[in-house]
Amino acid sequence: MKRKTLIQNIAFGIFRLMALSVVAILVWIIGFLVVKGAGALSWEFITESPTDGMTKGGIFPAIVGTLCLVVGSMVFAFPIGVMSGIYINEYAANNWVVKFIRVMTNNLSSIPSIVFGLFGMALFVNTLGFGDSILAGSLTLGLLVLPIVIRTTEEALKTIPDTYRQGSYALGASKLTTIRKVILPMAMPNITTGLILAVGRVSGETAPILFTCAAYFLPKLPTSIFDQVMALPYHLYVLATSGTDIEAARPVAYGTALVLILIVLIVNLLAGVLRGYFNKKLR
Amino acid sequence: MSIIKASDVDFYYGDFHALKGISMEMERNSVTAFIGPSGCGKSTFLRLINRMNDLIDGTRLTGSIEVEGRNIYDKKIDVDTLRAEVGMVFQKPNPFAKSIFDNIAYGLRVNGVKDKAFIEQRVEESLRGAALWDEVKDKLKKSAFELSGGQQQRLCIARALAVQPKIILMDEPASALDPLSTAKIEDLIFTLKSDYTIVIVTHNMQQAARVSDKTAFFYLGELIEYDDTKKMFLSPQVEATQNYITGRFG
Amino acid sequence: MKHTEQEIKNLKNYHIEMWNLVESQVTKAFDALKNYDTQKAREIIARERVVNAQELVVDHHLENFIALFAPVAIDLRFVLSLLKINNNLERIGDFAESIALFVLYKQNAPIDHKLYEKLRLDEMMDTAKKMLSTARIALIEEDSKLAASVFALDSNVDEINKDAVQVLADYIVENNAKSVEMLGLHAVIRRIERVGDRVSNIAEDIVFFVDAKELRHQTKNK
Repeated sequence: MKRKTLIQNIAFGIFRLMALSVVAILVWIIGFLVVKGAGALSWEFITESPTDGMTKGGIFPAIVGTLCLVVGSMVFAFPIGVMSGIYINEYAANNWVVKFIRVMTNNLSSIPSIVFGLFGMALFVNTLGFGDSILAGSLTLGLLVLPIVIRTTEEALKTIPDTYRQGSYALGASKLTTIRKVILPMAMPNITTGLILAVGRVSGETAPILFTCAAYFLPKLPTSIFDQVMALPYHLYVLATSGTDIEAARPVAYGTALVLILIVLIVNLLAGVLRGYFNKKLR
Repeated sequence: MSIIKASDVDFYYGDFHALKGISMEMERNSVTAFIGPSGCGKSTFLRLINRMNDLIDGTRLTGSIEVEGRNIYDKKIDVDTLRAEVGMVFQKPNPFAKSIFDNIAYGLRVNGVKDKAFIEQRVEESLRGAALWDEVKDKLKKSAFELSGGQQQRLCIARALAVQPKIILMDEPASALDPLSTAKIEDLIFTLKSDYTIVIVTHNMQQAARVSDKTAFFYLGELIEYDDTKKMFLSPQVEATQNYITGRFG
Repeated sequence: MKHTEQEIKNLKNYHIEMWNLVESQVTKAFDALKNYDTQKAREIIARERVVNAQELVVDHHLENFIALFAPVAIDLRFVLSLLKINNNLERIGDFAESIALFVLYKQNAPIDHKLYEKLRLDEMMDTAKKMLSTARIALIEEDSKLAASVFALDSNVDEINKDAVQVLADYIVENNAKSVEMLGLHAVIRRIERVGDRVSNIAEDIVFFVDAKELRHQTKNK
């Protein structure tokens, strides 16, 4: 008995340590960023353009650019992803076509993001002639997160017991009506989770926008979807590797990283609120 | 005249022969109970009456099932219309994630009813019909999930009543409920009989005895015995029926 | 064996005990009447309380079984039949007691031998006893055919009962002094006939239990 308890305690002790270390690493990263970057933060930092070879001034255009890309990619990925998810889970018979779609979706999500970037450049920038633009970048990012949206939609629909569908059919409702009026409202909280994940991913990606939309330095705001924009992750990359004076730009880089993380956190928070709202509507 | 008439119904799930040569008729305004061990085909047969089994891939049916003289497996039959005429209540209460009012109104709306006053009137009538009105009349806007399990099940019955079906199929409607809620559902079935034809699948032998006029015993996909409930529970004619209802099975 | 079946077996055992008690009471009462045995008559009266107690025991077990097992079909018919058979047996026990009382209070010594012969009392009592034992076996074996054979025996008892009226009337005309005793004897013969009737009822219940056929209030094939 004693021995058994001891083994148990050791095992769970290790598990607990592992779990705590994950938290510790996260706290460390954020702490590190706050310590290094908080000094750079100011109202001007988030509302002004970079100046002095990007060693001074703010990052406003990059923030706007990232937001544009997030919205643009979601406008593209969300409807297509949700509709695909609905098709796979609700309409398609469980045969080889669906299995094929699933495998392909999974493969899509394991393609390195830089490959997406190259593909986006080849298709959107060159072949379709969008040039380096928000549109091309959004489409590329959209493609990147499409599998996430599809998968989460599918999973969200799967968790809804068939008995609700049958309940609706039993009243004479058609399949489309059932999905629209009964199933989608119930799946919304979980689909929203997919959206959160996708937004998080989009706002942090550098590689896909490298060749499709990101501007090295562009101190003006975009006026159309065919404009280039700066974006936070790429800006960070630039500041850290290829600025005119990397050492002088260090504080700005940390500040940028902090802002990026804050934006992702805020988006997550917002989505959490949204999820809570949908859930409340259901209860 | 019988309202439901099944003739030589054979039903397959893929290669599995789930129902074998079922022929039976059910009277208007009667309660028919289907009993039998799990997997005997009783639920399958119930779900043939509103074509719920259409939703399963790879099934095949021969023979015919007539509702009010029309073969519901005829190509001309619109399944959605059929299901509005043959309502169904499920084993687990499955109210939609909507308000109590919208749950009842749902069936009307999906069938194209737009008249608000009429919907309100039907909602009240249906809730009264399901003996739920007094309990929920002050919280129609509240979510259906706030109701207890027994109330939810009566809500589902009310939801079925709203579209004014002729037949109500019940698939073990009280198996997830406590005895008090079960008694309420049983009372309700007894009341509803005067306006609807009810077919109920149950594992509870005493429930079948209490609520039904006729009882059908299914075993291994066959209809073994079908007779007045009183007769079935006092003096069944087939030994298998007797062994099943007295708990001596197998 | 399933729980229900064990329970039913127990019920049957309690019930058979009732049968044994009542049959022994009836046998003793007939012997007492035949041999004018007041000793046996007293035994019967003393044991009547045991019969009544056993009836309550069996009823009690049957009530419990209904309450706890909610029997249906053959089980339901079994308990319903047993309830009624039990009641009938108790009444048969009462008849045995009445006969014993007649033996005890009879003013004169044994029944006139010639009269005894003429009344065919031996045949009547033997038939009644046979009916009882046949019904018991039919119940134990769950044999409805055997149970139905009781009906033919009962018509024999009825016939003897009917004839007895004339025999007794004739006897009273010749022996006026014994008229009171003869009226008592007539009552006793009626009791024996009633035993036959009760056993017939029991046989109907056995047939209902075994075959689920309703025989009461139907014309029997004789």
